Amino acid sequence: MALLKTLVSRYILPTTYRATAIRYSSTDPKLAESDDSPVEMENPYKKEVRQCILCKLNITPDYKNHRLLSQFQSPYTGRIYGRHITGLCKAKQDLVESEIRKAQNCAYMPYYYKDKSFLKDPKLFDPENPIRSHRF
Amino acid sequence: MPTYELALMLRAMPKTELKTSLKRISHAIFDRGGIIRSIENLGFRAMPYKTSAHGLVHREANYFVIKMDTGTKAVADLREEYSRDVDVIRQRIFKSQEAFDKTCTLEEELLPPAYRKEVQKMIDVGKTQVNRFKYKFKYNSGLDYYPFQR
Ligand SMILES: [Zn+2]
Repeated sequence: MALLKTLVSRYILPTTYRATAIRYSSTDPKLAESDDSPVEMENPYKKEVRQCILCKLNITPDYKNHRLLSQFQSPYTGRIYGRHITGLCKAKQDLVESEIRKAQNCAYMPYYYKDKSFLKDPKLFDPENPIRSHRF
Repeated sequence: MPTYELALMLRAMPKTELKTSLKRISHAIFDRGGIIRSIENLGFRAMPYKTSAHGLVHREANYFVIKMDTGTKAVADLREEYSRDVDVIRQRIFKSQEAFDKTCTLEEELLPPAYRKEVQKMIDVGKTQVNRFKYKFKYNSGLDYYPFQR
């Protein structure tokens, strides 16, 4: 008797369960799709594309605007800060450097120091903490 | 005719004289078939460095920027004429800037070196080149065995 019970539970019950499972899936395909299917969406963790400060504010450096250009100059030596400090893209950094040269040549801007009236201008970057590390 | 910008520094002088010298300067452009788009006065201020011109040392100047259209061949001529002008301390002529329209490439530049396009190009070039400074053992040296660790 006990053996018969085990046989029934082993061979007959699973088939009945299987049948019910198949019936459920075949009868309600809509319900299965609607509640928990993956949704097409953009990657919510995607980071914003970084832009340099001049591109972000859409500024083209000009040699007549020597107040802006003096912010890319060291207050101690008058030298132009490099790309690893200013954080500009290549094109803008080249433009800034050439415009500073022009402004210095036109006597708008000193070569060896920063104009003392511009010393308290807001800092666009920190020369002590460059974007890329360097040996100096 | 391309547009040029003439950055002018005139010596310290009263307003009436300034007017006549500016007139003279602009007439030099007109005589060579050029036109003036605008004259900007950037004011009278101290120069960042002293400048000697025509036997005098100048520490202050009247700053002007003249936007003009002239023929390319007239530019050298104008520069020569202004260099003889006693009122002009310093003059520079630049081509007027075109509109800068390039997308920012900062994101690509901040990638680690292996992902940067220019570095990848350098590596590709390096693969095609032979390192001339690396010593390579020649098998025809007379030894009948390889002397180094393999
Ligand atoms: Zn940029």
